[in-house]
Amino acid sequence: MSISRRLLLAGAGAAALPRFAIAQNTSPAGDDRPEITIAVAKISNSGVLDPLREQSSNASERWLGSIQETLIARNQQGRLERVPGLATNWRRIDETTVELSLRPGVKLHNGDTLTAEDVAFSFGPERMFGGGRSNLPADIPAVARRHWPHLARVEVVDRLTVRFVNATPDVTMEGRISAGGSEICSRRAWTENGDWQANSSKLVGTGPYKLREFRPDASLTLDAHDEYWGGRPPIKTLRFLEVPEAASRINGLRSGEYQFACDVQPDAIDDIEVYPGIEVLGGLVLNHRIITFDKHHPALVDPRVRLAMAHAIDGRSIVDTLWDGRARVPPGLQWEFYGDMFVKGWTVPPYDPAAARELLNDAGYDGTPIPYRIRKDYYPEETATAEVVTECWKLVGLNTPIEVKENWAQVLDKAGPRGVRDWSNSAVFDDPVSSIVNQHGPNGAQQQDGEWTNAEMNTLSGVLESGTDVGKRKQAFARMLQICEREDPTYIVLNQNAVFTAKRRELPWRQPPSFFLDFSPRGWES
Amino acid sequence: MLRFFALRLARSVLTIVLVVTFAFVVLRLSGDPALLIMSPDAPVEAIHAFRHEWGLDQPLYVQYLRYFLAILHGDLGQSMRDGRPALALVVERIPATLTLAVPALALKLALGIPAGVYAALHRNSLTDRLVMAGAVAGFTVPSFVLGLLLVLLFAVQLGWLPSGGSDSWSSVILPVVTLGLGGAGMLARFTRSAMLEVLGQPYIRTASAKGVPWRAVVRGHALPNAAIPTVTIVGFLVGSLIAGSVVVESVFSWPGVGRLLVVAVANRDLAVVQCILLLVASTMVAANLIVDLLYGVFDPRLRNQAAGAH
Repeated sequence: MSISRRLLLAGAGAAALPRFAIAQNTSPAGDDRPEITIAVAKISNSGVLDPLREQSSNASERWLGSIQETLIARNQQGRLERVPGLATNWRRIDETTVELSLRPGVKLHNGDTLTAEDVAFSFGPERMFGGGRSNLPADIPAVARRHWPHLARVEVVDRLTVRFVNATPDVTMEGRISAGGSEICSRRAWTENGDWQANSSKLVGTGPYKLREFRPDASLTLDAHDEYWGGRPPIKTLRFLEVPEAASRINGLRSGEYQFACDVQPDAIDDIEVYPGIEVLGGLVLNHRIITFDKHHPALVDPRVRLAMAHAIDGRSIVDTLWDGRARVPPGLQWEFYGDMFVKGWTVPPYDPAAARELLNDAGYDGTPIPYRIRKDYYPEETATAEVVTECWKLVGLNTPIEVKENWAQVLDKAGPRGVRDWSNSAVFDDPVSSIVNQHGPNGAQQQDGEWTNAEMNTLSGVLESGTDVGKRKQAFARMLQICEREDPTYIVLNQNAVFTAKRRELPWRQPPSFFLDFSPRGWES
Repeated sequence: MLRFFALRLARSVLTIVLVVTFAFVVLRLSGDPALLIMSPDAPVEAIHAFRHEWGLDQPLYVQYLRYFLAILHGDLGQSMRDGRPALALVVERIPATLTLAVPALALKLALGIPAGVYAALHRNSLTDRLVMAGAVAGFTVPSFVLGLLLVLLFAVQLGWLPSGGSDSWSSVILPVVTLGLGGAGMLARFTRSAMLEVLGQPYIRTASAKGVPWRAVVRGHALPNAAIPTVTIVGFLVGSLIAGSVVVESVFSWPGVGRLLVVAVANRDLAVVQCILLLVASTMVAANLIVDLLYGVFDPRLRNQAAGAH
């Protein structure tokens, strides 16, 4: 890009409007669709693109859906409900089997037409679960088993029909099929590329954009996949540029070099929107900020102390001041996205300092320090939130010195007393198994790390994972919320997180209610 | 001379070994790469598998011995993030870093030395004060502040230059100026001090008293004698060519060794960090070695001392 072109862009930012508008009606022969640059804080934490290694929602989820897709999709323009993706319809054969009909004529980026063989391969040993001739790194099958703990096989019924067969009854199979980690790849491309390492940064899928180049820690460039089943992509080239400094991302947006800047902090939104031609979009995502307990800390053995800590936090103030009202205190560790499994009427323990003091008094809390481990703004407004929370706790007599840690290993380090720590929890798919069981159940990271356990919770996790009766499952989930948030607290829900993206105002793009930046034809205003 | 060189070389090798050992211990004790690369939400089985695969479940001394023996065999290991050889990852970033560092070094020399000499020759004048005020500002303003100020002016307000990235030749200008101004300020200060010290020496007065033109005194007597302390600083600047642009590369999203180092340290990607440290330490040691040798060239007394002659 020459200086003169940049000058042109900076001096006449509005010029992008006619360029974009023209692109909507341009034939492939005269391809003047815009090329856009999206400044992100991080493209991939793991340095590769494989969704079974790269697990970060605030990095890979931005672009992954542009390259690879799932059989059952989520409505990014709605409330993330399940919608047909690479499968046009699906049905239950029995409690352990789901049959899906593939969308005919879907073109992969390498020119092949998607078949049931690609789907079976995507969930097979070579790609996902290891064993046999597979040369997958050991962590890939382990992550795959987290996504699919009881998947027995994927059967090819015919060229456009597959069956997912589970070893145990599982009502969440459709949700799992729609979740990250269940993306479909090209069998031929994978085999031709060679081993996992060769494939880990060469994704070939069916999405609206195909991979041109990935430069770890620098950029990810995608070109329009003009044979995309969902229509011709409106952008010629997408370039995700890694710009770690928030100020640099906004400066680049202002100067016209970038058209989008991600990871905008909520307290910066008003300052950014004063610039002409720039607006900030965004809102709530399926992720809650939580604080978790290590109940082996002497002061936290008594659950009344943990409940007191929950009552002491003024969550409304955090949302109103640090998030400028753009987030919310959610109804516990759940989302309306759960549909039938959503427990209506449930709330987090209300802000009640008097109740907190009484609980602490009853528990005989003597001021023993309870270390509060955080990372410096790993989460939006994390440090400021921790300061507010600590002040709330101090007001009811709790002694919670903040310990700022550099990384997760230090946060989880068992050396030195562990008290409470920051964390978050996402709804990976539309069932509480994806959140409360995934992180706090018997195989979840919190129990595996020895912070907390509860026998009834673990029994109920089994009910939730393999039960098929909606009523019983919902009852079990409601009881789990009761245990985890009131009776034997394992976490405190602070707020539902929100993400914000700054963009050039003239681009008629809509921010989905997720981390995903949907640049497919569906993501633009018609 | 040979003994002088051998002593310096032995000390350099020891320095590199100490740097590598220290970095290994600190990095391994301050974070688990498995948790950092895979995130704390990853299944415990996956984290265990990752640790086993990379030998992170072995005692620290075993890991260190394996690593050290591999280095002796020329194997600098692989990145735990993507499995690629660490050396290849680092080497492919060096040209980007040198694209900033070499012009920045030239800028430092071109601005710093003449400014320092000029200020010394006009000691206590208004020009001297102005030059030194600029020099102090140059090396006291943090590079990320200076970089952002330059971006606001030249990218956001004037729209003349890109605010970051590495897409065109013009992307180089702001990071080079940011790097160059800081170093130039430091160099100007040291050059001025060295020149002032030399200009106060009796042999300068003697040369002037003998009627030697002032320009010739400065060129023939002052500048060569002021070169030794200046060469020390220049050696330091050359030594930090690779490591000196970490902050600037982050501010300007420049895909060089500095950015790689930040990411590798954050992920405790040991092989990559160690590879960069080896490179940085080697560059620094080599620069110091050359400076030491230049001392001997500039000042025969030092060379004779090292050789044991009195």
